[in-house]
Amino acid sequence: MYGFEAISHHNGLAIAATGACIVFAGLATLSLIISQLHKLVALLDRPPKVIVEVVAEERPQETAGPDCPMDIDLTVARYLPLIEELEPEFDLSDLYVLAKKYHLPHPHLSIRCLLEAGRLQPLGDGIFRYAE
Amino acid sequence: MDLILQFLHNTGFGLADYRNLIMIVVGSFFVYLAIAKKYEPLLLLPIGFGVILGNIPFFKGFGIGIYEANSVLHYLYFGVTSGVYPSIIFLGLGAMTDFSFLLANPKLMLLGAAAQMGIFFTYLAALALGFSPHEASSVAIIGGADGPTSIFLTAKLAPHLIGPVAIAAYSYMALIPIIQPPIMRLLISKKEMLIRMPDLRQVSRRELVIFPVVGMILCTFLAPASIPLLGPFFFGNIMKESGVVDRLANTARNAIIDTATILVGLTVGASTQGDVFLNPKSVGIFALGAVAFSIATASGLLFAKFMNLFLKEKINPLLGAAGVSAVPGSAREVHMMGQKADPTNFLLMHAMACNSSGVIGSAICAGILWSFLMG
Repeated sequence: MYGFEAISHHNGLAIAATGACIVFAGLATLSLIISQLHKLVALLDRPPKVIVEVVAEERPQETAGPDCPMDIDLTVARYLPLIEELEPEFDLSDLYVLAKKYHLPHPHLSIRCLLEAGRLQPLGDGIFRYAE
Repeated sequence: MDLILQFLHNTGFGLADYRNLIMIVVGSFFVYLAIAKKYEPLLLLPIGFGVILGNIPFFKGFGIGIYEANSVLHYLYFGVTSGVYPSIIFLGLGAMTDFSFLLANPKLMLLGAAAQMGIFFTYLAALALGFSPHEASSVAIIGGADGPTSIFLTAKLAPHLIGPVAIAAYSYMALIPIIQPPIMRLLISKKEMLIRMPDLRQVSRRELVIFPVVGMILCTFLAPASIPLLGPFFFGNIMKESGVVDRLANTARNAIIDTATILVGLTVGASTQGDVFLNPKSVGIFALGAVAFSIATASGLLFAKFMNLFLKEKINPLLGAAGVSAVPGSAREVHMMGQKADPTNFLLMHAMACNSSGVIGSAICAGILWSFLMG
């Protein structure tokens, strides 16, 4: 048996069409899943909430020196966990956003204090690096 | 005198058949291509030498030939007929494959799917030419351009065709530099060849570790018959990416895959005994194999052009040719073709993404065809 007769006798068209559809659907699904994989990984990589707890623990210290952004050691102690959360070279506004997020007192003053103390080293274009 | 004549009659010279001699010439040509032209030497050298070895005339009944029970070659050939070697090769292949390019640009996976269309077109063509469905599937899988997958499916569906199918599959893989470029030039315009691909994003290690698990679960749920190929493949890959079993991953991608490749090449080559191999069906398989491979290449290229109709950021359609799973030959060919059009255009990494998708695609195709016809 040859030609179209053989193809139809062996159900060839149905097998070929179904097979092609399955392969395509499978790889398209896999493609869709892996295109979202980095988002899932980003969720898993979110920073632990421990940092918030650390801030909460430090709050009582505010009463000891409520308006004390000039105390450089205290400011460094408060801001170092935030800086570590950022990239090694970061935008100052990102640090400010984090400080607001964790409700640190006087973010503007504190960051200026860190700048003046030379603990934030400018790299140009608004990018800074923490200096020991 | 009688003793000498009897001895001469039992030597290879006395037993020689013209078909053996033809195959010895073919085997020698493979060895020449491997050594002098460096066409896929890792495959063609063992196969070519195997062809010569398998066609040395011998006195039948002594347990010497590959088709004679109790012969050493027969035992080694068991790894082919049982589908063991392809699984082992897939393990090593997984431990070699870097999926980061695919993860960085997942839409390229569709090109790996598109290039499998050659398999199904050829399936229909083979049926039309009078092959049985089992034989047609074995011939069609050559379009996947994946030697181990072709051997695996043929061992399961049409074991009597393993020799010609394997030789055709590996030959066409070796002949990629001759087969693919004309099809690329025919279907892709010069302007399209100049399209540059965007820089790939950095893929995290966690993504690379999760992918083999997700990929294996999805693919094997879809086509459970592909477990013998995709199971070891993704296992090899997770060994590589996890970084906790470097010793095992190294063994898989070096010693294990090399051993399996040697044994597959030699025994598949030796299985092409002239009296078994040289028949009209083998010629048909070679012709259909070329058709399958060409249609697979063309499907990938045309689908890439089709995708560009909808994509804001166009992809270079040459990448479609790398959707066949001939790793890394077709990726290299795509890269070289792109560089001929623009020497500063680097397509290799993107083409490797399509290649690795093609490996998965052709294994799924094999699983699907096997499950359709196993009843």
